[in-house]
Amino acid sequence: MGIPDAAQDLSTEMEVDAFRRIFPLRFFERHLSESLRPDGRQLGKARDTIVNLGLVSTADGSALAKIGSTTMLAAIRMEVMTPSTDSPDEGCIGCYLVVLFSIPAEAAPVISKRLSDTILSSGMIDLKELCLVSGKAAWMGYLDIYCLDADGALFDAALLAAVAAFSNLQIPIVALNDNGRIVAVTGEKDQDNALITEKEAVNKEKRKLTLKNIPFSLTCILHKNYILADPTTEEESIMDTLVTVVLDSSDQMVSFYKSGGAALAYSSAIKSCVELARKRAKELKQILGEMDID
Amino acid sequence: MLLSVLQTGAVSSASGSAYAEFGNTKVIVSVFGPRESKKAMVYSDVGRLNCNVSYTNFASPTLGQGTDHKEYSSMLHKALEGVIMMETFPKTTVDVFALVLESGGSDLSVLISCASLALADAGIMMYDLITAVSVSCIGKSLMIDPVTEEEGCEDGSFMMTCMPSRYEITQLTITGEWTTPNINEAMQLCLDASSKLGEIMRDCLKQSASASDE
Repeated sequence: MGIPDAAQDLSTEMEVDAFRRIFPLRFFERHLSESLRPDGRQLGKARDTIVNLGLVSTADGSALAKIGSTTMLAAIRMEVMTPSTDSPDEGCIGCYLVVLFSIPAEAAPVISKRLSDTILSSGMIDLKELCLVSGKAAWMGYLDIYCLDADGALFDAALLAAVAAFSNLQIPIVALNDNGRIVAVTGEKDQDNALITEKEAVNKEKRKLTLKNIPFSLTCILHKNYILADPTTEEESIMDTLVTVVLDSSDQMVSFYKSGGAALAYSSAIKSCVELARKRAKELKQILGEMDID
Repeated sequence: MLLSVLQTGAVSSASGSAYAEFGNTKVIVSVFGPRESKKAMVYSDVGRLNCNVSYTNFASPTLGQGTDHKEYSSMLHKALEGVIMMETFPKTTVDVFALVLESGGSDLSVLISCASLALADAGIMMYDLITAVSVSCIGKSLMIDPVTEEEGCEDGSFMMTCMPSRYEITQLTITGEWTTPNINEAMQLCLDASSKLGEIMRDCLKQSASASDE
């Protein structure tokens, strides 16, 4: 008796949970043939998404993004540094993803790198806005993303959290003191008032960055001729071909990523993925728009 | 400090988890296991416990991380190993991962209490819940659950981890200058606070258990 036959016989007697553990692929394929997934979603639908801003008071900008159960907390701290000589008018951003707990350690640097590439190449942030004194001082933003709960689609949640954190970012007030160094101005009035008028205040008030071309991403799984959007960890572990499409607010493609895997992506599959990503970008734009982000 | 939030089940991908906010100190702990561990090459007929404490980069208002937090992982391990029944999960490992989101003082005691709640949420067998309370002494006065500024000017610190129902102590850490009457008073304060905290933790577990039954 071959294994497929055993599955057929056993499947009528086994409990659902046991079947899910022992024959995961068959369990999913049974659902896919009805165009559904075990959690009841349609194939092209993403999970409920929530974004919360400004949770961390000690950081200059922060956001928490939840896609289903995947939870990412992003926080940005700004520090002053000297810009490099090739680009004296620009600041820079450093991205770092900390993935704790259950994810294989190799996944974290990959997502970090893809995230920083996507943010820089999308042109969301104009690095010239980060300049303080040309050639001498500019802002360096340290973006830290902490994964509090990992349930698939890590890149999507991380990008959403990063974008929301940047929109929440307020650049602190600094002034140039007599020694030519940049000093933080805390905003206390009494004694410092006199000092502030002497110092040349570089920023008059806390300002926000202008964000153009906000990137939105959607990760899909390709399996035979099905395309599943926004996979959970269980789905990701069974079907290994992941495709991530990143579009910006004017529906132009910022990045496309397919990491090998058993299924080949024909151009029809790619077009469907881009179409799904477009719908998702509209949803995400609406969610961010409800929180007053342009 | 005021206990504002104590909840379990914050991390769905973990076997058990807990999130606690004591004043400004915010901590999230996840427990995985018992599961296979790649590190354990040797057969052992008792289980193993692996603890890891990390701080976020924005945990403290000053830039960068504090340097004395590497020992928190081993201190957490020592506090927990006395209370977990290791014989119930031979050959496997229980992993406890703690993340301090914001540090407002008494970090280690909040970590320990939150970790024991997460272990209970994961269903790991223990002799009792453990609660940790810390007391600082400044001159002649004692302060329970000090915040960061109070910790900065303390003359001595006293941290006690105990099992409230069994009235047994699993870990006691005393540093600095203490007089004997002060130590006795601190111990009494900690025991009282522990039993109160133990009741609050039990209520929290009961609520989450009855919520999941519905």
